[in-house]
Amino acid sequence: MFILSLAFKNLFRSVRRLILSTFAIVIGTMYLILGQSLIGGIEESIVRSALDGLTGHANIRVADYPEQGMQHPVDELVELSPEARAWVDANVEAVTERTMFAATAVSGSDSMRIRGVVYDPATDEAVFSRAVWKTEPADFVPATAADGAMVGAGLAKLLELKVGDTLVLQARTPAGAINALGVPVGSILNTSNMAIDGSTIFLPKELGVDLLRSDTPSHVVVKTKDRDDVDAFAAGVAPHLGDTYEVHTWVEETRELLRLQGIRRKALNILVGVLLAMSGFAIANTILMAAYERVREIGTLRAMGMGKRDVLLLFLAEGGMMGSVAGALGAAFGGYGAYYLSQNPIDLMAMGQNDAMGASIQFSSWLYGQFSPGMVAAPFLVALGVAVVASLYPARLASNMEPADAVKAEG
Amino acid sequence: MAPICKLSGVRKTYGEGELEVHAIRDIDLEIQPGEFTAFVGPSGSGKTTLLNQVGCLDKPSAGTVEIEGQTTTGMGERALAKLRGDRIGFIFQSFNLIPVLTAVENVELAMQLAGKPGGRAAAKELLAKVGLEGLEKRRPNQLSGGQQQRVAIARALVKEPTLVIADEPTANLDSESGRQVLELMRRLNEDLGVTFLFSTHDRLVMEHASRIVRMRDGQIIEDVADQQPELQG
Repeated sequence: MFILSLAFKNLFRSVRRLILSTFAIVIGTMYLILGQSLIGGIEESIVRSALDGLTGHANIRVADYPEQGMQHPVDELVELSPEARAWVDANVEAVTERTMFAATAVSGSDSMRIRGVVYDPATDEAVFSRAVWKTEPADFVPATAADGAMVGAGLAKLLELKVGDTLVLQARTPAGAINALGVPVGSILNTSNMAIDGSTIFLPKELGVDLLRSDTPSHVVVKTKDRDDVDAFAAGVAPHLGDTYEVHTWVEETRELLRLQGIRRKALNILVGVLLAMSGFAIANTILMAAYERVREIGTLRAMGMGKRDVLLLFLAEGGMMGSVAGALGAAFGGYGAYYLSQNPIDLMAMGQNDAMGASIQFSSWLYGQFSPGMVAAPFLVALGVAVVASLYPARLASNMEPADAVKAEG
Repeated sequence: MAPICKLSGVRKTYGEGELEVHAIRDIDLEIQPGEFTAFVGPSGSGKTTLLNQVGCLDKPSAGTVEIEGQTTTGMGERALAKLRGDRIGFIFQSFNLIPVLTAVENVELAMQLAGKPGGRAAAKELLAKVGLEGLEKRRPNQLSGGQQQRVAIARALVKEPTLVIADEPTANLDSESGRQVLELMRRLNEDLGVTFLFSTHDRLVMEHASRIVRMRDGQIIEDVADQQPELQG
């Protein structure tokens, strides 16, 4: 106990040096927590964008359906057998049907290639969460042809559309004809998913049938009881689908992006590793200087009967205390930051990032941080470990000093 | 009476071959309980090296050292630390107090290292014995040299040591403080029977000593016992 008490008092011999060394660890720990929080938040955002955007937990579509961009051929539609549909209904939490199609939106002299999504007003919300949706007018999601279409906020801005305006949609029908339809703008939708908001128009089923002359969906979308159940769902439904259809899950949809995130996370860990190594050197330097400054004192302690092991413990305790205090401060600041970000997202749109993100990647413009006690505890333990390991060399050096020489050192 | 400390053929050599230096050689010495012995001689004569052997701070290159009949030569580092902690007190020229600790904490630390009970109360009592009542909470930098040396004496005495080794204890003190410190040590020697060994150049210390061991070139050249110390006050 007296070793800990002495170690604590020794820490404050050079307050300036203590603050500088502590600061390095605080920054390293904070950076680790906030970095992990934001990268975790981006990963969750990618997943949520797939779950709540266009993919759902899983969807059944025609085999070899195009993967990229806004290719949505309307001649590739899904007509499940009653037996397959019954299996689906029995094994998921909710089911809905959507028809995705490519179209040209014309407004005045402006025209744009867009993605159209025909949704079933009765079942869509059960599969696709609207928790972060913001509509204008508020909470208005068109349900009938008379309600009009729901236009993504980014697209509405590009085409200078507002609620009550009319735009013309031109699309190919499953029969191969080109159909054009004047569609009233019923509401402007901000899903926070930039890929959707910048290029997508949602049509309630009635309006979609008017345009496409078909009520057959291109996607049967499901919500499983747990999002991690999708692989089991895909395996279970596959025998009922034959070769005509395939199951596409959020896991497949996000795999590449999450892989990229994994690389980013590794890069972050390398940076944090470098930062913590620098902090470790700062602590090692501090303890080493302390050891050299206190040679005579170490000799005295040895003369008084303190063993080598106790001198080693004394210096390790000093490093450990520095690491634990700095790690705790870093964990507190970083943890608070991560918690704050988990409750108060960064709006990338407001930061002018909407252009840079493009319209092809499904990614929420609301960047939340992730927070969990484990996220805070692990970096604290890392900081403590770095401090103790960094103290090892100076502590050994101090404990190996010859007492006869040390007691006579210049003090 | 059995000697408290016995050195037989002790030699300490530094370096090898042509660079070999004998700091002390062929030292045979016995210290009896209750002695107040001064080791005198010019710088480099081997006084401190010899006291380091006696205090188990260093190991001899040859010969044996016995403390209270216990041979220390073959002892491991831990056993030597325990022996120092239990039986030997040290007083240094530069006082060597722990600067971050108060006077009473310095004494208390020594008690804890020696495993002595009593805690703060006992530490305060010891400080009072060396005339530092009321200064317990001062840090070393708030004490005069003489007061610091008194703390060091109290610290050395906490373990009720067999012997106290004092390396130039008055060298950093003015003559009045030096005299007071010496009188204190002499009083402790007489009242408590503590054995004191000094290395010194100070004539005042020699005048107080009951035995003077003169050294030159690492050897004892004169050993005069039964001095009549000049007790004052």
